[in-house]
Amino acid sequence: MYGLQAILENNGWAISAVGITIVFTGLVLLSIFISQLHKFLDLWENKKEIKKIFKKEKTKSIKRISVLFTETHKDTAQKIYLIVQTMEKSFSLSKLLWLAKTRGLERPHSNLNNLLKAGIIMPDNKGYYIWNMDMFKKIIRT
Amino acid sequence: METLFIEFFQNTGFALCDYRNIIMIFIGIIFIYLGIAKHYEPLLLVPIGFGMLMGNIPVFQGLGLGIYEDNSVLHYLYFGVTQGIYPPLIFLGIGAMTDFSTLLARPVLMLLGAAAQTGIFITFLGALALGFAPNEAASIGIIGGADGPTAIFLTAKLAPKLIGPIAVAAYSYMALVPVIQPPIMKLLTTRKERLIKMEELRKVSKKEKIIFPIISFLLCCFLAPAALPLLGMLCFGNLLKEAVVTERLAIAARTSIIDSVTILLGMTVGASTQGNVFLTTESIRIFILGALSFGIATACGLLFAKIMNLFLKEKINPLLGAAGVSAVPDSARVVQVVGQQEDPTNFLLMHAMAPNISGVIGSAVAAGVLWSFMS
Repeated sequence: MYGLQAILENNGWAISAVGITIVFTGLVLLSIFISQLHKFLDLWENKKEIKKIFKKEKTKSIKRISVLFTETHKDTAQKIYLIVQTMEKSFSLSKLLWLAKTRGLERPHSNLNNLLKAGIIMPDNKGYYIWNMDMFKKIIRT
Repeated sequence: METLFIEFFQNTGFALCDYRNIIMIFIGIIFIYLGIAKHYEPLLLVPIGFGMLMGNIPVFQGLGLGIYEDNSVLHYLYFGVTQGIYPPLIFLGIGAMTDFSTLLARPVLMLLGAAAQTGIFITFLGALALGFAPNEAASIGIIGGADGPTAIFLTAKLAPKLIGPIAVAAYSYMALVPVIQPPIMKLLTTRKERLIKMEELRKVSKKEKIIFPIISFLLCCFLAPAALPLLGMLCFGNLLKEAVVTERLAIAARTSIIDSVTILLGMTVGASTQGNVFLTTESIRIFILGALSFGIATACGLLFAKIMNLFLKEKINPLLGAAGVSAVPDSARVVQVVGQQEDPTNFLLMHAMAPNISGVIGSAVAAGVLWSFMS
């Protein structure tokens, strides 16, 4: 069999079309990846810079929350601080909540939540919490 | 005594000689001449040429001397060709000696390597039209990739009986790149286009060079798994080179391993061209189709570069398209020579290496695709 009939019979057109498409797809994908590779590497090498940017943004957001503390909130925070002083340096949040309730503090859940959001009470990454004195002075005692 | 002498004479090459052996010995001498005197791919043409001499010494069948006899030494050496062992080892060496920097610096030039592979599929259609079986047509088409190891590898898998003519055609055309390509390049480009200067390439970091072989291997082999033996070895060789800590292995791959394999491959391919097996009308058709395939591949690369220029802000020199065929680094050198004929201050060699190397990857992927379709 010869000529166009042989090509048709052996599925030649389809094989060629698919073959060319696969070769092009492979090399196009590869060229796209290569063209972006140095940008990814630059990003990877400057990851510390990126972390710094995120850290700065976090601090800024905490400052924004501190503005929302009213005098009543500040008064409650002082009372909670007095309770924390009676506890270990790393303390259990549930125990602090229980102590706040037994001492008759108003809305203890909400107040503790505000202190957590403001970063005055911080997790010590071991399952307990610590009192951030710097933040406390900055927000409450100003 | 007279009988013994007559029997001895009947077993000599003079008595067993066939005119086809004489023709092939003559062609072998031409190959050796071109390699030594004209410096046309001497590392390939000299072993192939001498292999032709070895393969065409008329021998008494049954003594275990000929390459096609099961128990002969040449047959054992030829095993690396028929089983596709030598080509991946050559790719390992190519990978270990190739610098992918230009490709990484200007990835858009990869498309020229892809475009040149169109020649493979067009020739595949041509071979089908001339009455070759699909597996044979695929093996003939791959000659257009201008990549000897790939052509041998695919032919060993799809049409082992055609290894001799296809290998000789592929290597002959690779050696004749400086003769075949320039007329096509001049025909399909204007002087103004040939004068285009390429912008300077950016510096490529070591990390990019290390990541590239891993990613290109994973990407291409996930897309066309049959390209695994060739691309795997190419990328592995390149990783050995770029990793620096494996410099000893890279040196071995790009010197002793590739040199040994080139000797064995060239010599056994040459020896496989025994006159009675090689000189057939089929071989002549393969040679004609191979030349067409090579020309079409060059033309496709050039035309695609011109098409790309319609969309690119910074124009590329369309001569680079001719380097899309994967005869590394000969076609890139030809681009440099043709470019400098118009403007001696135009340096295109480094830029031409990008499509040249992508042509190697492209032809390996094309071989993988054809193999998976035919098997």
